[in-house]
Amino acid sequence: MNSPDRQGRAFWVGLAVGGAVMAFGIAGALGDAAATEPRALVAWVVAADIVHDALVAPAGIALGWAVGRVVRAPWRAPVRAGLFLSALVAILAWPGLRGYGRATQPDNPSVQPLDYRAGALATLSIVWVAVGVWGAVRSRKMRSVTNP
Amino acid sequence: MMRRLDPRSIGTRFTSQLHDDRTAAILGIALATTFTVCFATGVWSHLVQSPPSWFSRPPRPAGLYRVTQGIHVATGLATIPLLLAKLWVVYPKLFTWPPFRSVAGALERLALLPLVGGGLFLLATGLANINLWYPWPFNFRLAHYWTAWITIGALVVHVGAKWAVTRAALARRGPGRDIGPERRVFLVTIGAGVALVTLTTVGQTLAPLRRIALLAPRRPDRGPQGFPVNRTARAAGVVETALASSYRLVVTGRVERELKLSHDDLLGLPQHDATLPIACVEGWSASKRWRGVRVRDLLDMAGAREGARVTVESLQRRRAFRRSELEPDEARDRDTLLALFVEDEPLHLDHGFPARLIGPNRPGVLQTKWVTRLVVR
Repeated sequence: MNSPDRQGRAFWVGLAVGGAVMAFGIAGALGDAAATEPRALVAWVVAADIVHDALVAPAGIALGWAVGRVVRAPWRAPVRAGLFLSALVAILAWPGLRGYGRATQPDNPSVQPLDYRAGALATLSIVWVAVGVWGAVRSRKMRSVTNP
Repeated sequence: MMRRLDPRSIGTRFTSQLHDDRTAAILGIALATTFTVCFATGVWSHLVQSPPSWFSRPPRPAGLYRVTQGIHVATGLATIPLLLAKLWVVYPKLFTWPPFRSVAGALERLALLPLVGGGLFLLATGLANINLWYPWPFNFRLAHYWTAWITIGALVVHVGAKWAVTRAALARRGPGRDIGPERRVFLVTIGAGVALVTLTTVGQTLAPLRRIALLAPRRPDRGPQGFPVNRTARAAGVVETALASSYRLVVTGRVERELKLSHDDLLGLPQHDATLPIACVEGWSASKRWRGVRVRDLLDMAGAREGARVTVESLQRRRAFRRSELEPDEARDRDTLLALFVEDEPLHLDHGFPARLIGPNRPGVLQTKWVTRLVVR
């Protein structure tokens, strides 16, 4: 699991090439400072790291762990998959549900034109019906393996 | 009951076998692929939107931008489940103790900050942008563009650092390779996530799938005259000037005869049809049949020289994209029109009435609406 102590040629080549590309990006962002607002940009990138590492990942891991405690073995993988897919639905639907884009252009009905509550519920129903079918099939299979 | 948690032991407490090098390698290759596709199509979009002096935007194939930008947005959305899964797999490495053992190890970990932060930033800002939601102080396009360069650079560093580990993890035979069906189930779940994200959104550019695009921020069939609008006439502040009887299209600059044409004058000129997509940088697109006056006919009437560039100006007073450039090949293209009609109806005010530019292989933001001046260079 540890980073290897010794790095081969690939690392130093990657560092040289990647470092140059990063330098180009940093120079570009600084060159367009009036538009890119470098301080705010750095704050957002670092915040993305922190929010993920301190909140999103621990929450995901805690949820997966809780499923392991609460849910019977054959249902664990389907339920975890269902939670993962539900999180994706929430991420995609969130701006539309909150009407964030619509608010920037209230007179433009072609922005976020759909009923995102209905869309999210329909998608979630499909996900959880699939979870139910998959879990039932796995339960039956595992039972037939343990009680031949 | 309170035991002190030793930070050195956190990394060893993740018990799932999926936190292994092989799963990380498989997802790593998938992510390296999707980030490269997003980067290439994104740089392409940037080039065609603001071409530097050494680059000339090709007018053909007419639907190229629709395809590259559709791929950019669809691939970016599909990357959301891949990145979340990959970060879950490697999360225990965050607690590796000691954090590094060599200069190389320190540099490798340092590059993870722009890689992970930049990757999450690109996906989050991209998702907000396709929803026309801008909860930040910087300019989206330039911040997204330059961060993409920084992130792809960090990705190159990371690929170099993980080259040997990845090869070993993928080649390995024996006990490390097979952890039972667990990894297959995990990867199928992530695949289902990619499928879900794609199927519920890609209909914003792939018309046959529009009915299942339940979570798409735009639908190619929703809007005035059955397709989307990015900026309304009211938001652009052109309602009065666009509807005024004093409206004129002026063809000026390096011409022999300056033209001043009213809307009726334009309707009296030879009309031509072109079926072209309007393809937005935000990833939606819709193909429409446009009718109007060829730009090259106007240039010939005004006596512009062959090979002239043309600046197309809108009635809009503010904003960066109130004008756009036609390169010589585009200005002369038979399908580059000053469109007056779409699908046999006069253009809706929000689609650029009285006249809008429509040309092959141009990002939507360059299909200037409410055109009032063509300046020949």
